[in-house]
Amino acid sequence: MFEEEKVAFFLASRLITRGNKGTLLLTIMIIAMVFVNLIFLPSIIAGIVVLFNQQSIDYSYGNLVIEPRENQLVITNVEELRQKINRVPGVVATAPRYTSAATIVNKGKSTTPLLIAISPDDEKQVLKIHTKIISGDYLNDGDTGQILIGKTLAGNKDQKVDRTPTLGGVEVGKTVEVTFNNGVTRQYRIKGIIESNSFGVDSNAFITRKELESVLGTKDTANQILVRTKTTGNEDAMRITLMQYGIQEKIWTWQDKSADFLTSIVGSFDIINVISTIVSLVIAVVVIFIVIFINTVYRRKQIGILQAIGIDRSIIIKSYIFQALFIFASGTVAGCALLFMLLQYLTASPLVFPGGPVAPVLEMMLVVRAIASLLIVSLIAGFLPSWLTTREDILSAIRG
Amino acid sequence: MIVGTNLQRVYGKGSVEVRALDGVDIEIRKGEFIGVMGASGSGKSTLLHLLGLLDRPTAGTLVIDKVDVGKLNERQRTLFRLNRLGYVFQDYALVPELTAEENIFLPSKVRGMTSRECTRVCRDILGLVGLKDRVSFLPGEMSGGEQQRVAIARALVNNPAILLADEPCANLDTRNSKTILELIGKLNKDLNQTVVMVSHEDWHKKYFDRIIFMRDGKIVTDAEQEKENPYE
Repeated sequence: MFEEEKVAFFLASRLITRGNKGTLLLTIMIIAMVFVNLIFLPSIIAGIVVLFNQQSIDYSYGNLVIEPRENQLVITNVEELRQKINRVPGVVATAPRYTSAATIVNKGKSTTPLLIAISPDDEKQVLKIHTKIISGDYLNDGDTGQILIGKTLAGNKDQKVDRTPTLGGVEVGKTVEVTFNNGVTRQYRIKGIIESNSFGVDSNAFITRKELESVLGTKDTANQILVRTKTTGNEDAMRITLMQYGIQEKIWTWQDKSADFLTSIVGSFDIINVISTIVSLVIAVVVIFIVIFINTVYRRKQIGILQAIGIDRSIIIKSYIFQALFIFASGTVAGCALLFMLLQYLTASPLVFPGGPVAPVLEMMLVVRAIASLLIVSLIAGFLPSWLTTREDILSAIRG
Repeated sequence: MIVGTNLQRVYGKGSVEVRALDGVDIEIRKGEFIGVMGASGSGKSTLLHLLGLLDRPTAGTLVIDKVDVGKLNERQRTLFRLNRLGYVFQDYALVPELTAEENIFLPSKVRGMTSRECTRVCRDILGLVGLKDRVSFLPGEMSGGEQQRVAIARALVNNPAILLADEPCANLDTRNSKTILELIGKLNKDLNQTVVMVSHEDWHKKYFDRIIFMRDGKIVTDAEQEKENPYE
C-alpha cells in the first residue's frame, strides 16, 4: 500500500535535501513573502475597522442608544427611565444627552456644529471622551457658562489648514457666543478642548444638561440615553432584554447608529482587500509556478531518464507535488514567523492613522484562507509542469 | 527472445521524411552479446530505442519475451521496461541527488522491494561491478567510468531479460571503456545475460558474439563471430 507514494516521497526528499540549497531557500522565502502579503493588508484593514468600531462605542454611542418613542421628540422622565434601564442585568451605566444644533461665533467666525448637552459624571461611566482632553478641563455636573469643544471645531489660527468651518483656532479660557434654536444667545467660556481622533466627536461642542435646561426651560428631558453594557458583541440580545423589561422607547445598537458610516468605510476597504488579495494570489501563482516550472524543466532530462528506467509517470508527478508541498509548508511556516514578528512590532508601535493608532488584527479565517490558497496554488504548480513534462515522449525529454 | 519484423521508423513527412529504420528484421536469442555497429545516422540508436521501448515503430512488429510490445499501452510499456529491460545510456544518466546505492535501488523500490532487501541486492550488485566502496558516493563524486558502472548496476538490479547499452563507452577513455566492456562481457558470460550494445568503435568488435552492421536504416550484415579472447 502506498508503494508509489513512498518512492515519490523518497525521490522528493532526496531532491530537496541534496538539491541546490540556495535556490530552495530563495523559493521558500518567496512563498513566505507571498504569505505575509496575503495576510498583512487585510489584517491592517481589520485593525482599522476594529478602531472605527471601538471609537463608535467609546466616543459616540456606547453599546446601545435609547431614543424617544414613535412620534415623540424628547424623552421625558429621564431619571425614572434610566433607573429602569440600570436595573436590567448586563447594563453597566447610562448617560442622558440632549443634542441640538446651535450657532457658535468667535471673533466673527461662525459655524453651526452639533451642541450636545451631557451629564458629565454619567457620561464618564459610558464614554471615554473625558480621557481625550488635550487642553483645559472636562465639564463638571454643575457647570454653567462653560463649554467644551472638539479640536476640529476649534480649528487652527491659520484657517487654510482647516477643511471644515471652524472657530479659527479658539483656545481654552476664551469666550464664544452661542445662539440656540429658540433664539437665546449666551456667552460661554471654553473650559476644555477634546481630541478623540473621531470626526463625529471632534467637530462637536458640549455643555452640561443643567445649562441647556436653563436655556430651554425644560427639566429632566433628553433626546438620547446612551447605555454601556458589560460585554460588547451581544447588543442585539441586550436590546431584546431591554424591551422585555418594558422599555418602550426606540432602542438602537451602536452598529445601527454607525451603519452608514461603517458600511461605506468597510465596503471601500473590502474592495481594496479583494483587489489586494487577488493581486497577491496572482503573484503567488505566477511565482510558485515559475519557480517549480523552471525546476521541473531543468530536470526534464532526468524525468525522461526516470521514465526510461521504468519509473511510472505518476510517481514522478507525485514526487514533484511532494516537493511543491514541502516548499509550501516551509514557506508558510517561515511566513507565519515573519508575520508574527511584524505583528508584534506593529502591536507595540501601531501605525498612526487619522482616526487613531491602528494595530493589525489577525483573523483566523484570514490565515486559513491564505494557507488554503497557497496550498492549492502549490499543488497546481507542482502538478502541472511535471504532468506536462511526463506527457512528452521519453526521447525528447532525454534529449533535453 | 526478441523478434522484430519489418521494423520501420520514419521521422517527418513528405519531402522532409527521414527513414531512420527501413524494414529491419531482427531476431535475438537468449544469452547473446550483440554489437550493433555503423556510422552516425545509420539507425543503430533508433533500433535500440525501439528495442528499449523508448520509441514506437512507424510500422512492423516487435515481440519481446513472447509479448507483442506494440500492443502495450504507456503504463504497460513502463512496467515492461521496469521488469524486463535494463538500459544503459551514453552519459550515465544517474540522478545526481542520489547516492550510488540509491540510484541502483530506485527501480527495485518501485517494484515494492523492502529497504533491507534493496540494500542487500545493491551491495551485491555493487560488488559485482567492483564499486563496493562507493555505496554512499554521489555521482558527482565519482569518475565517469565509476558512474557508468553504477548505471550498469542500476540496469541489472531488476534482473532484466535484456540489457540494452547505447554507446556506454562514448564518454570514457580507453582504459575505462575496456573496464566497462569487460564488465558487460563478464555479465553476459557469467549470468547468461542477453546484451545488445550500440557502438561505433571498431576495437569493441572483439567483445561481441554477433555483430549487426547497419547503414541507411537497414541491416547490411548480421554475422556471428568466433570471439578471440578479449580478456587476455
